[in-house]
Amino acid sequence: MFVSDVEKAASMNLMPSRSDLKAEAAPAAKPTIAMIEIDHVSQVFQTSSRQDHLALSDISLTVDDGAFVSILGPSGCGKSTLLYIVGGFVAPTRGTARMKGNPITGPGPDRGPVFQEFALFPWKSVLGNVMYGPRQQGVKAAEAEAQSRALIEMVGLKGFEHFYPKELSGGMKQRVALARTLAYHPAVLLMDEPFGALDAHTRTRLQNDLLNIWERDRKTVLFVTHSVEEAVFLSDKVVMMSRSPGRIRQIIDIDLPRPRRRTELLLDPRYQKYVVDIERMFDDAGDDELQP
Amino acid sequence: MRSRVLFARLAPLLACVGLLAVWQVAALTLNNDSFPTALDSIRAIPSILGDKEALINILASLRRMAIGFGTAVLVSIPLGLLMGRSRSVASFFNPLLMVIYPVPKAALMPIIMLWLGVGDLSKTLVIFLGVSLPVIYHSFEGAKAVEEKMLWSGAAMGLSAVERLVRIVLPAALPEILTGCRTGLVLALITMITSEMIARQSGAGNILFNALDMGQYDTVFAMIIIIGGMGIFLDAAFERMRERLVRWSEPQFDIPLSFS
Ligand SMILES: Nc1ncnc2c1ncn2[C@@H]1O[C@H](COP(=O)(O)OP(=O)(O)OP(=O)(O)O)[C@@H](O)[C@H]1O
Ligand SMILES: [Mg+2]
Repeated sequence: MFVSDVEKAASMNLMPSRSDLKAEAAPAAKPTIAMIEIDHVSQVFQTSSRQDHLALSDISLTVDDGAFVSILGPSGCGKSTLLYIVGGFVAPTRGTARMKGNPITGPGPDRGPVFQEFALFPWKSVLGNVMYGPRQQGVKAAEAEAQSRALIEMVGLKGFEHFYPKELSGGMKQRVALARTLAYHPAVLLMDEPFGALDAHTRTRLQNDLLNIWERDRKTVLFVTHSVEEAVFLSDKVVMMSRSPGRIRQIIDIDLPRPRRRTELLLDPRYQKYVVDIERMFDDAGDDELQP
Repeated sequence: MRSRVLFARLAPLLACVGLLAVWQVAALTLNNDSFPTALDSIRAIPSILGDKEALINILASLRRMAIGFGTAVLVSIPLGLLMGRSRSVASFFNPLLMVIYPVPKAALMPIIMLWLGVGDLSKTLVIFLGVSLPVIYHSFEGAKAVEEKMLWSGAAMGLSAVERLVRIVLPAALPEILTGCRTGLVLALITMITSEMIARQSGAGNILFNALDMGQYDTVFAMIIIIGGMGIFLDAAFERMRERLVRWSEPQFDIPLSFS
């Protein structure tokens, strides 16, 4: 629904590389607002040995309101860094990131990060972690607790409310991190491999739950993953990045009907073609660290 | 399994009894006036604790120690945390602390006495200085080690910089802070006695050194037992509180190092 007719026709053949998506927004079927604009952003890090390291090079990307955009790319290509810039945690060396047209100057509850490292509060129980955001936003304790318990149940951790993070497995921590961010209802979700540590079954379940929340609450999602299948399954757009320096190599619109059901999609030749084409493209470039 | 638990419970007691037994035997074999037996020393304890004067002295010592320790902790934790999170605060205080750190605080006592007299203020100040440095150091290390993403998570939830310091850095660094406080507590006891040894006027240390001057060796050793007992009790009580506060951070198979 966020894809132009021109692209629909071309969807079987992957679109050529574009560095600026704004040009493409012209004949859209439905007017869309840019939720996030990343405008010629570069990021240079100083390493401890005082060398400049170009982590991101001239990234431009527009994410429409309500869009689900995945970022795919080899390890170290700057996916996390890009999320940090949108989150306002890191100021880009060059270029600007905007949210609803306003330059992003710092973090805020409108953008909820789910970090690759979970970053749970170890002194809080599962329930305490999930309730933290709503309580900070001034939600009454009883109400925050009820909402949080429902979210904990959704991520499949019912019965673990009073466990501390050190008593959880990696996959369980990841699910708490997801619930903690969902709990304060950010308009934009910035998810950094949120399902990386999960078994196939739990991963599928949470993918479906995430899609339900996304469709229900009209959220905008920026989703980093290493899994091509996951990216194709979830997204409206897949951003493919390459490494050294981190660049956008290609943006691919995924024109598959919604609501999507995994079992149906797996048999759908269009889905299969997206997956195979994307994997081929990474193979061609010799980015061996990408694990589908 | 049960016997092991029982042994763990009794171990500190056994250690004390063993130590006293060695002392008793050593004192009997040496048979020296300045080395009373363990039993004689223990027998001298009730007369010290029964003496109103002595009791007032000991309580005055404890009061100075509590005030010195308390104020030091209240000042040092925020300072250490700020230093751990802010480069400019750290570089401002670092040179000062680096100079004070290796100086034995008791060595400052003469100067402090010269300025502030031999009363409570000087002694409390020395205790304050003795406690501050380990607490600052551990708070600093604890704050520095706080995972950046944890602070980012807080910022995304709308916590201000001050709120993050109080509600994220403080709890996250608490295990490290309390380690510093435990060291600080023992140092408070040490500097308390030392200060009273230098500014001989009142206090537990004063009783001890007066007895030494007068050759009342059983009182000297009785005081050592009393002071040592206070140290063991305070440390055990603190450790018990610490364990309760940071249960969330202890590794599953922790080896406790305490008498509690
Ligand atoms: N604080 C930093 N200082 C120096 N270099 C950094 C810093 N953070 C990231 N980098 C560098 O920037 C590049 C991109 O890092 P980033 O974490 O964004 O990669 P990524 O795509 O998320 O990788 P992965 O898939 O492994 O998570 C890497 O080469 C890394 O070495
Ligand atoms: Mg990453």
